[in-house]
Amino acid sequence: MDSHDGKTEAGNLGDAPPLQIKANRQGFTLVPAPTAPFEALVGYLEKRFSESRDFFRRAEMTLDLRERPLRTDEIALLHRLLVDRGQVRLVEVKLGEDLALVMDRPSERQPFVPRVSPRPRPDHAALVIHNTCRSGMRVVSDTDCVVLGDVNPGAEVIAVGNVIVFGNLRGVAHAGAGGDRSARIWALSIEPSQLRIADLVAVPPRGGKPAAKRYEIAEIQDNLIEVITLKG
Amino acid sequence: MAGKTIVVTSGKGGVGKTTTVANIGTALAKRKYSVVMIDADIGLRNLDVVMGLENRIVYNLVDIIEGKCRKQQAMIRDRKFANLFIIPAAQTREKTAVKPEQMKELCAELASEFDYIFIDCPAGIEQGFKNAIAGAETAVVVTTPEVSAIRDADRVIGLLEADSLKDIHLIINRLNHRMVKKGDMMSTEDIISLLAVPLLGVVPESDEVVVSTNRGTPLALDRGSKAGLAFQQIAARLNGDNVPLDTAQKVTLVDRVKRFIWS
Repeated sequence: MDSHDGKTEAGNLGDAPPLQIKANRQGFTLVPAPTAPFEALVGYLEKRFSESRDFFRRAEMTLDLRERPLRTDEIALLHRLLVDRGQVRLVEVKLGEDLALVMDRPSERQPFVPRVSPRPRPDHAALVIHNTCRSGMRVVSDTDCVVLGDVNPGAEVIAVGNVIVFGNLRGVAHAGAGGDRSARIWALSIEPSQLRIADLVAVPPRGGKPAAKRYEIAEIQDNLIEVITLKG
Repeated sequence: MAGKTIVVTSGKGGVGKTTTVANIGTALAKRKYSVVMIDADIGLRNLDVVMGLENRIVYNLVDIIEGKCRKQQAMIRDRKFANLFIIPAAQTREKTAVKPEQMKELCAELASEFDYIFIDCPAGIEQGFKNAIAGAETAVVVTTPEVSAIRDADRVIGLLEADSLKDIHLIINRLNHRMVKKGDMMSTEDIISLLAVPLLGVVPESDEVVVSTNRGTPLALDRGSKAGLAFQQIAARLNGDNVPLDTAQKVTLVDRVKRFIWS
C-alpha cells in the first residue's frame, strides 16, 4: 500500500482522496492514487464537479496515469465524464515518463469568464440604466448596456455586448463578457479601476490627472486593450 | 408640526458622525429648538461621552425598545440646555437587540414631542445601519476628503437611495485647505463631482475637536473656533436658513501680510 517513488500523502492514508487535482499554469493535472479503485475515482470526480461546476469549466486537464495505469475503456469513460459533466478539455494523458496520449490541441490559456449567457442577441434592445451607478452596484446585461450617468469606483457594469457610459467611467466595465472580442467600451471619460473586454483585462497607468471632458473608446487591438480619445 | 428625523451616517468609521450629531444638536438647541439625539451605535456607544453625560446613564435605547422603561426615563437632559436630550445606546448589548420596525416606531413617537430627532448611525452597512436609517426621512452623509471614506460614502448613498431615502445631504469633514491648495488632498469640487449630492457644509480640520470631545463640551458652543462656526452654519442650513457656502478660503491677516512682503 505504498507509492513507488516514496511520496508521502498528507494526513491519514485512509482519508486521502482517491484522486489528486494539482493546479499549474497550464491548467490542472489529475493524479489518481496508485491503489484507488476505479469506481472511487469516478465517484470522486462526479462529486467534485457537482460541487464546483463553474470552477473547472473550460479548464484544460492532463490525466497523469504514470502511477496508476488504467485500461483504455476506463480512460474513455473518464474522458467522457470530464468532458460531459465537467465541461473540461482533456488535453493529454500521460502513460509513462516518455509516453503520452495527446487528446486535444492545448490552446492559449483562457481565464475564467463570468456567469453571463454566452449567446449575444443583437436583436434585443440594450439595457439602459437611468442613473449613476454607485459603489457596490452591479449591472449585468446579456446585450449592450447604456448608463445615463457615471459609473463610480466600486461599481461594475458587465455586458455581453458593448458598454456605453454617458458620463465618467471610474469603476469596472466588462464588455464582451460572453467572449466577444469585438465588443467596445465607450464613455465620455475613461478613468476606470479596471477595463475588461472578453477575456482580456487592462489596468490604467498610475498617476496623472485625466484631461477634462473628452470622449473615449476602449477596444482590443493586437491582443491588448487600447483606449482611443476623440476630442468632443 | 411633526419633528424632523435625521440620520447622520457615513459608512466609514471615524469620519465624524458622532461629533457632527453632538455639535449640530447643540447648535439647534442653542437656538431654542427641542432636540433629542439617539445613539444607535449599540455596543460601541460614544455620543454620551462626547456630550459629557456618560455618568448620568441609567437606562438606554434597548431598555426603551424592550419595554423595561419609559422613553422619558432613558432620556438624559443636557447640562447646559433644558431642551436638549440624548438617548444613549446600550454598551453591553449587540446591534441585533433592536429591529428596524422598532426604531421606526420610536422615532414616530418622538416626532410628536421634539422639533429635531438626530440618529447617530454606527459605521458599516449591516444591521446597525439598517436600524439607524429605518425611522429617518432625511440623511446627512459625513465624509472626509480621502478616497477610502468617499468610496464608502458613495456606497452608503447608493444604499440610502435604494431604500427610498432620497433627501440626502453631504458634510465634508476635516478639510485641510493648505493640503488642498498644494494638491495633496481632494477638493470640495472633486468630492461633489463624484458623490453628486447637495453639500450641507464643510468643516475644517481642527485640533480643538479632540479637546472638546475629551472635555465633553461640543465645539458649537465655542465662538472662536472655525470648526464650531462651521457646525453652527450647517445647523442653520439644515433648519432652512439661507447661509451661503464658503467657497473661497478665508484669508487670515497673517496670510495677507505675507503676500504683501513677498509680492
